[in-house]
Parts: sequence; C-alpha cells; structure tokens
Amino acid sequence: MTSPRSLPKKPGASFRPWIAPLLILGVAYGIIPFVGNSYLFEAILIPFLALSLAAVGLNILTGYAGQLSLGSAAFLAVGAFAAFNFNLRVPGLPLLVSILLAGLSAAVIGVVSGLPSLRLKGFYLAISTLAAQFFVQWTLTKFGWFSNDGPSGVIDAPPLNLFGISFEGAVGRYRFALTFVVFFTLLAWKFVTTRTGHHLIAIRDHELAAKVIGVPVLRTKLLAFALSAFLIGIAGVIWAFAYLRTVESAGFNLDRSFQIVFIIIIGGLATIRGAFFGAALIVIFPLVLSRLGQLALGNIFDSGVLEMSQLIVLGVLIILFLILEPNGLAALGDRLKRKLRPLLS
Amino acid sequence: MNGFDWLFFSEVLVGGLLSGVMYSLVAIGFVLIYKTSGVFNFAQGAQVLFAALTFVSLVERGVSFPLALLATFALMVLLGLAIERAVLRPLVNKPPTTLFMATLGLSYILEGGAQLLWGTQVHALDLGIEDLPLEVSGMLISKFDLIAAGIAASLVGVLSLFFRFTRTGLAFRAVADDTFAAISIGLRLPRIWAAVWAAAGLVALVAGLLWGARLGVQFSLSLVVLKALPVLVLGGFDSVPGVIIGGLLIGAFEKLAEVYIGPFLGGGIESWFAYVIALAFLLIRPVGLLGQRPVERA
Amino acid sequence: MSSELYSLPEFRVTNVSPAVDADRASARFSVRESTRERAPSQGTLGLSGISLAFGGVRALSEVDLQIEAGEIRSIIGPNGAGKSTLLNVISGIYRPDQGVVRLAGRDFRKVPTHRLARLGVARTFQNLALFRGLSVLDNVKIARVHHTRATWIEQLLPLGRANREARTDTAKAEAILEFLNLQDVRDQLATNLSYGLQKRVELARALIAEPSILLLDEPMAGMTPSDKADMSRFIRATRDEFGTTVVLIEHDLGVVMELSDRIAVLDYGRKIADGTPAEVRANPAVIEAYTGSAHVETSTEGSLEP
Repeated sequence: MTSPRSLPKKPGASFRPWIAPLLILGVAYGIIPFVGNSYLFEAILIPFLALSLAAVGLNILTGYAGQLSLGSAAFLAVGAFAAFNFNLRVPGLPLLVSILLAGLSAAVIGVVSGLPSLRLKGFYLAISTLAAQFFVQWTLTKFGWFSNDGPSGVIDAPPLNLFGISFEGAVGRYRFALTFVVFFTLLAWKFVTTRTGHHLIAIRDHELAAKVIGVPVLRTKLLAFALSAFLIGIAGVIWAFAYLRTVESAGFNLDRSFQIVFIIIIGGLATIRGAFFGAALIVIFPLVLSRLGQLALGNIFDSGVLEMSQLIVLGVLIILFLILEPNGLAALGDRLKRKLRPLLS
Repeated sequence: MNGFDWLFFSEVLVGGLLSGVMYSLVAIGFVLIYKTSGVFNFAQGAQVLFAALTFVSLVERGVSFPLALLATFALMVLLGLAIERAVLRPLVNKPPTTLFMATLGLSYILEGGAQLLWGTQVHALDLGIEDLPLEVSGMLISKFDLIAAGIAASLVGVLSLFFRFTRTGLAFRAVADDTFAAISIGLRLPRIWAAVWAAAGLVALVAGLLWGARLGVQFSLSLVVLKALPVLVLGGFDSVPGVIIGGLLIGAFEKLAEVYIGPFLGGGIESWFAYVIALAFLLIRPVGLLGQRPVERA
Repeated sequence: MSSELYSLPEFRVTNVSPAVDADRASARFSVRESTRERAPSQGTLGLSGISLAFGGVRALSEVDLQIEAGEIRSIIGPNGAGKSTLLNVISGIYRPDQGVVRLAGRDFRKVPTHRLARLGVARTFQNLALFRGLSVLDNVKIARVHHTRATWIEQLLPLGRANREARTDTAKAEAILEFLNLQDVRDQLATNLSYGLQKRVELARALIAEPSILLLDEPMAGMTPSDKADMSRFIRATRDEFGTTVVLIEHDLGVVMELSDRIAVLDYGRKIADGTPAEVRANPAVIEAYTGSAHVETSTEGSLEP
C-alpha cells in the first residue's frame, strides 16, 4: 500500500479546514433538496452517498490498516438483511435501533472474517475475505428465513421513520441517507486521527515495529475489521432502504466488492475524502459514458455495448490511476489546490 | 444401510479429481507469472475467457480448427506482450498489492474487450470429444472429463519439463529464485517476463478450450479463476507440483462435499467450500503444501 | 497543536531547555515520571548459551553476554557474524534453539516481542522502521502506547481521559524532539526527511518509551561524519541523562571505540572477544577476524573529540 503524501487533516485543529466541509453540508442540506429533481436523488445522490460510506468503511480496513479485503459486499448484504429482519421481527423496535443493530451484526461477521488476519497477510488474507463473500451470499440466498421467505429472496424496505419524522419520497430518502452518511463519516474522520487510528497506520506501515513499541496488533486488526464492517453494514442499509428499496442478495456479489475497492483506489487510499471522490466518479461515469456513446455512435450503442464499455473504461481508469496517480483523486485534488492557491490569494 | 456405496464414492471421487486437474491448469497460469515476477495475475480468468471467445468466434466464422487455434495463440501471445509492456513495466517497483489491483483492472478490460469484440451470447464449443460416459471397473466416468484431464496433465507435464530442462525454463527459474542475481548474470528481465506472459497466454488458451467445451463459452468462464485461488492457496503460489496436488485435493473434496454434505445444507455449497478448505489448511500450514517464497503469510 | 507544556497532576515535565546544539545535550533535562524509580535490575541484560541455526547455517553458537545497567555495550564483528541476529533474539523476533535471555530480572526462552515496551526495552532497526504515513511527531507519540489507557471509544469523545493522555503524549514527544533537535520537522511526514534525520526520529521514538535498555541496530549506517558525531553525542547523552543501558551494533570502529564502555566481538556466530575498547583493540583474534575482509576503520570520524 502506498502512503499518502499529505497528512490526514485533523478536525478541530483550526477553523480553516472546516470551511469546505461546512459549505458542502450547507449546500447538501440547504440547497439541493429544494432544487434537485427525483432523478438526481434516486439515480445519483443516494447511491453516491451509500457507496461513499461503504468506501469510508473499506478504507479504514484496507487504506489505513493495510489489510486488503475483497469481500466487502458481504457486509453490505449483512447490513441490509439484518436491518430488514430486526425491523420486521422485533415488534416496536425503532428503525434507528434496527439499523444500529444491523451495523453491529455486520461488525460481528467482520471480526470473524478478520480472524485469519492474525496469521495471514497480503494475498492470502484477501483470498480468505473472498470466503466470507461467497459464504454470506450463499447463506442469504439459501435460507429463505433471511428474506422472510419472500419470492426469490427479495426484501422490501420498510417506511423510513426516525424520531417521528417520516422520510419519504426521493427528497426524504436523500435526507435520510445524507444524515447517516454525514454522522458516520465524521466519526470515521475523528477516529483516524486518534491514537488508535494511528495504530492502524503503524500496523500497515511496519507491523514489526508496531509490535515492538507495544501496539496491540491482533486486537487492533480485529477492531479495524469490526469498524470497517460496521460502516459498510450501515451503508448496506442505506443502499437497500433508501436507494434500491427492494434488494436481493445477488446485488451484493463480487462485482460489488470490486466496485468498492476500485472506489478507494481511484479516490485515494487512506483518505476520508477519497471515498467520496471515488464514489462520485463511479456513480457518474456510466451516465456520462452512456450519453457520450449515444452521441458518438448512435444506434450501435445499445445496453450491451454500454455495459462492456463500462468495464473497459473502469479497468483503464484503475490502471491509469495506479500508474500515474497512485494516491488517487484526493492527491490530484491536493495538487490542484496548491496550484490554485496563489491564484486565489 | 447395508454398506457404504464405494462404487458411487469412487465415481464421485474420480469426477472430482478430474475436475481438479482442470483447476490446476488454470492455477498453473498464475504460478508461471507469480513465480517469475511476483505478480498475482487476477486477469488470468479474463485471459481464459478471451482465448475461448476468440477461438470459438473464429471457428463460427468458418476458420478451420487448426488455423483458429494458431491465430488465437498468436493473439494471446501478443496480448501477453502488450500487458507486460503497458501495464507491468510502468509499475515495476510498486508493492505487490498495487500490481494485483492493476491485474484486477486488466481483467475488467479483457472481459469487456472480449465481449465487445465478439458479442455476449453464449457459444457452444465443440472440440470433437463426445461427452459419453465410459465404464471403468463398474464406475461411470465422463469421457470428456478424462480426455480433458489428460490434455491438461500433458500440458502440465510439458511445462514442468520445460522449466527443468530448457534454457529459457532455467532462466525463468533463475529469475524466480533471485531476481537481482539473475539480472547480474545478464538475463534480460523484460524479455523473460514477456515470455512468461506468453506462456500464461498459452495455458489460458488450453484452459479456455477445455473449460469452454465443458461449460459453454460465456462470461462466467472468467469466474473459473475464482476456483483457482483456493488451489493456489493450498498448493503454494509458486509451486507447480504443489498446485497440481492442490487442484486434485480441492476438486476431490469439493465434489465429495457437494454430494455427501451438500444435501444437509441445501446444496450449492461448492461456491464457498473450496475456500473453506483452503482457509482451514492455511491456518494449519501457512506455507502451503509445497510453496516456498513467503507471500506475506504472518 | 501548540507546543505549550501542560502541567498535569501526575506527570511533570520540567526544565525543557531547547537543545539547539548537540553539545548542549547534557543540559539539565528530565521528562521522566518523577514517581517512577528504575530498579537496578531493570537495566541489566544477560545472554546465556544462545544458539540459533537457520536451516543448515549456524547463526549463533553458544553466545554468552553480560550487560550491566547503564553501560554502553557495543557488539561488533565482520559482516554475517550474527550481530543483528543477536539483537533479534534479544527483542524476541527470533527464538533461540538453545539458551536463555535474562532481562528485567526474568529469564526468557523467547522474549515476548509484544511486551518489549513493558519490559523496558526499545530498539531501532537497521533498515529504518518509521511509519511512513505519520508525521514525525506522531511517529514519536505513538510509542507512548503502553503508558496510555483510554480505549478507542473514549478517544472519539472531545473530553476526558483520552484527551488528557493525548496532551501528555504530545508534550513528552515534543520534549524528546527538542532533545534530539528535531523540533523543526515535527509536522513533516516521516518519509520526507533525509536519511540521517529519519534515523534520529527512530531514536526519538525509542527514547520516548523511557526504556531501561536501548538496542540500536547500526544507527550510524549511511550517515555523514557530522551526522555520526551528532548521533554519538545523543547516544552518550541518553545514557548520561537517563541511565539507559545501550546495546549498540555498529561497523564504524572509530565510533565504537570512542563510545563504548565494553565491546563484544562476534565472528561466525561465536563470541571471540569481550572487554574494554583497549583490550579488544589489542586482541589478536579480533584483528585476525577483521583482516581478510574489509580494512579496519580506525578513523576518528564519528568520535566525540573534535
């Protein structure tokens, strides 16, 4: 894993770093709900938010702690299905509690799937995370209980009610997603600047030295797995409840896992903002590609061609980033900022 | 129950072993590349798909079998060279995970490219081998499986001999053992790596044809690579014999589990069972059966 | 992150005079917890009959070594003699086939690496083991881990025990950085520094743990003569100020002769000499071990004398 070229920005150190996030929040809450149409919310913003949170989660494990995980979609699935079941089967349980319990369920599965990290590293660990991916998918498909014996293992999202406020319609679901993502992103951001957050980085950069100075390596690795899975689980709930509304376990397949991995690579490993940059690119580029394709090639550009072109463009993007800017869009953004600074002052 | 149905057991076992040989075949493509350049080539599966799709599309367009074979092989070699040049060389000093991610991207490009070029429909691949059951000492064995295993085994044998007895093969092993020493005695690394990727392309072609004939040539062919991973884990990433044994074990256990344990769990356990075997094995013996180069086990 | 020093109920950081010049490293300077007394046995280190083979290669053969508290002990020998291996045995990275390591008053067949800090042992690595993704300050701060208690959940909260610990950590880290004249680079990413400075940061990280025993694996390798002089002074100051026992592996014999109280010489995994610098220098076995390979460096490159 490459280390970032810049230091993690610490919240609370001074006021300047807060300006951009506050502005973004202001726009996100104050402007977008009133000017956006339902296409913007349903096709772009909500999936963007869900994938961003999932990427933040994966980044904690793979970017900061250096443990490559290829099975993250399993935790999306656990989150979604667990929230569905808690909400359905425990009468009177507030939705918020169901969601948090779903996150915890994902965290538990995360710890279990992280146990091999105590003896394995690198590719061997990555392969063991695939085991979790396949096993979880199989379990959720095979046992109809998880989907309440619904047709073909599909689950439906319940109405979104938090603290008596009902989040319905595209705007409502957008606000729902936004609130969760903002809250947990802030927590994650704070976490990576704490001492334990630094332990993750130490284990990634030189596990032996970390051990020698007394960092509790095993515990910290498992914590990274747990936290990562928790965040991805919450993202899975958003994915299922706010975005798709009806999900089946097939949507949480290996391609989805790879998608999240691509997001953090393109966005920038070991950065929080990288998750958002990467997710934005991943969500937007198929739409852009589709439009461009229509324009350039007209009728030949059907959905099959689009799908294949997407694969190719994605693959090319990954390789280009790895060669040219291994620290991702986040690093590109930093460079841009540095160049623009003299212009702005 | 009277006695254990040994005949049936043997049938399942043999079927599993034959499957296993095929797994080994795909895994060998990995080992080739990993052994000489330390790169874990996730795109091997996509290469299998690419080879199979190209071959089958050429044949469907009327190209003769041997010509199509030759053309596809040439294409795979060129592809290998291009990959080495365009993707691997720029990333030559990066950590192994970076290279792995690059091969992940590569697999997407190849999958998309293959289907863009030749279309996304399923193709049947007829290699002229009938899939009839043979009867051997009372067991029913698929003739196709047997022949496929035979071809795979021969290729594996040829490759093993190649590594052991030819100059280029020795050069491969030198590079694998000690890259710096190899450079210092004048072995040209890029050339060797290009040759390795070409060899991997050949393996992909053979695997593509065999698996394609078995499963039909379609996108899911590239998922065969996911079966090769537990084999690599079991056998060691850098050991050809290890991967052969690993393949046999995984193939056998997987089939047996599906038949004997599967019904209790609802079936379909082959999607993850191989991984569980590999994992259990890893935790007991992290170096793999015969592997040597430490691939960052704990 | 300001560099104010907070006076806290338990710990007292006293008299931090900026050591702008390595010559002033002997200025009165104490970051020690005033309440903690270091027992004399803490700083002694004993190796008895250590043998270790890798495959067919005998890396160490029945090495006996006694290191007194507060002494600067060097281990020298030609390349491949087993010096780093010995250090790895002491820090528990290798388990010897035979023999016992005695430290902190206890005997170990295999030293538990994850408890080294608690046992009062710190080390640096030959090939640099800094955390590339952290700043210099954070690299040093993180080594306070075995002194801190707050859980990760507490660390997320804006107030409380975690906050206090973080402030102490920062104060102590800054004090160490000033001691080693690294305060100017405190916020830079560790990897952006020059090689010599990175080695010094690694020393800082080892020192902040307030070790009784400091293991230094070729701390001067690849340094310029002036860097070496600085490093020698810092090592000596560490022992003089804190009473730390220093075990040093080093190739530059000029430095070694100048700095060490006693020297042990290894060759092919065996100890062939053990004594004061004068004794070792005159020992014919030592001279023989060295002649035949590289010529013996006896320059005064890294010495403390001008």
